[in-house]
Amino acid sequence: MLPFFLYFITGVITGFHIYALLSLAVYGVPFNPLEVVALLGSFGLLLAAYVSLFRPHGAAKLALVAALAIWSFYGPALAKVVRTRLEKRSELSQVTFRQPAGQTTALG
Amino acid sequence: MILPYLATALLILVTVYSATVSFRQRVEGATPNWIFPDGAGRSVRILVGLFTLVLGIGLVAWISLSARNSTQRSLRFLIPESYTGWVRVEFEIAGESPVPVEGGQTVLKIPPSGVLRTSSPEQYGWAEDDYFYYSSAGVRRLPNSGHGSLIWGKINGAESGPSGKRKYEEFFVGTEQQYRDQAKGGDKKNGY
Repeated sequence: MLPFFLYFITGVITGFHIYALLSLAVYGVPFNPLEVVALLGSFGLLLAAYVSLFRPHGAAKLALVAALAIWSFYGPALAKVVRTRLEKRSELSQVTFRQPAGQTTALG
Repeated sequence: MILPYLATALLILVTVYSATVSFRQRVEGATPNWIFPDGAGRSVRILVGLFTLVLGIGLVAWISLSARNSTQRSLRFLIPESYTGWVRVEFEIAGESPVPVEGGQTVLKIPPSGVLRTSSPEQYGWAEDDYFYYSSAGVRRLPNSGHGSLIWGKINGAESGPSGKRKYEEFFVGTEQQYRDQAKGGDKKNGY
């Protein structure tokens, strides 16, 4: 039962998340084609959940392919989030002191 | 929002688990355990089948109930003949009259000023609105999609002011060129 629940719950949660992102398209938000690939991956996971009841090994292969399809969207998205957080600089990371002679000394 | 984090965590788990099961060597005679089971028994399959059936019925019932409970009506905008510029409808204004409903559509008759204030609440949901020019001679439909559309830049919003929070809907009536020209100029006819 473990593979069934694992694939099923992951398929439902990733599918719902991607569907929610895709539904923003009705408000004019441009959608990423990788979201559609990832949504298909979520369907693949649901399918793998049912296959796992009969052929666990085959279901694992199907689930792996589906998971990779979902990663095609989550991977770049995660990378972007991490990069954005790392690049965020402190407001005090660069302080410029004005000197009377018009020269500047920058710290940072 | 926890959903993206939960989805990512589960996805990592599924990837690791499915890769482990896919690539591990199967030993002849090894006893299956709960982590690496060897298929499910008949009773488990029946249980899962029932679970799926209940889930499916629940989903269909929920969709049909929410569709039945949806009170969203489409809006019919009646705009003065040859009016060009921004139209604004302000909702939930105390002391103003409610808008009438005719043939299942909420009728919003826009005055020559382009601003309609009503005590009726704004409606949310899926609906296709209709736009008409009206005059003493009658009404004529305005195209609101495609290349020849005369309706542009429709927005719904809310703003806070001295008289409280105001919900409004705005759109531009005119050709695409007129809409672009006024957008470049940055001024709206009614000063909003």
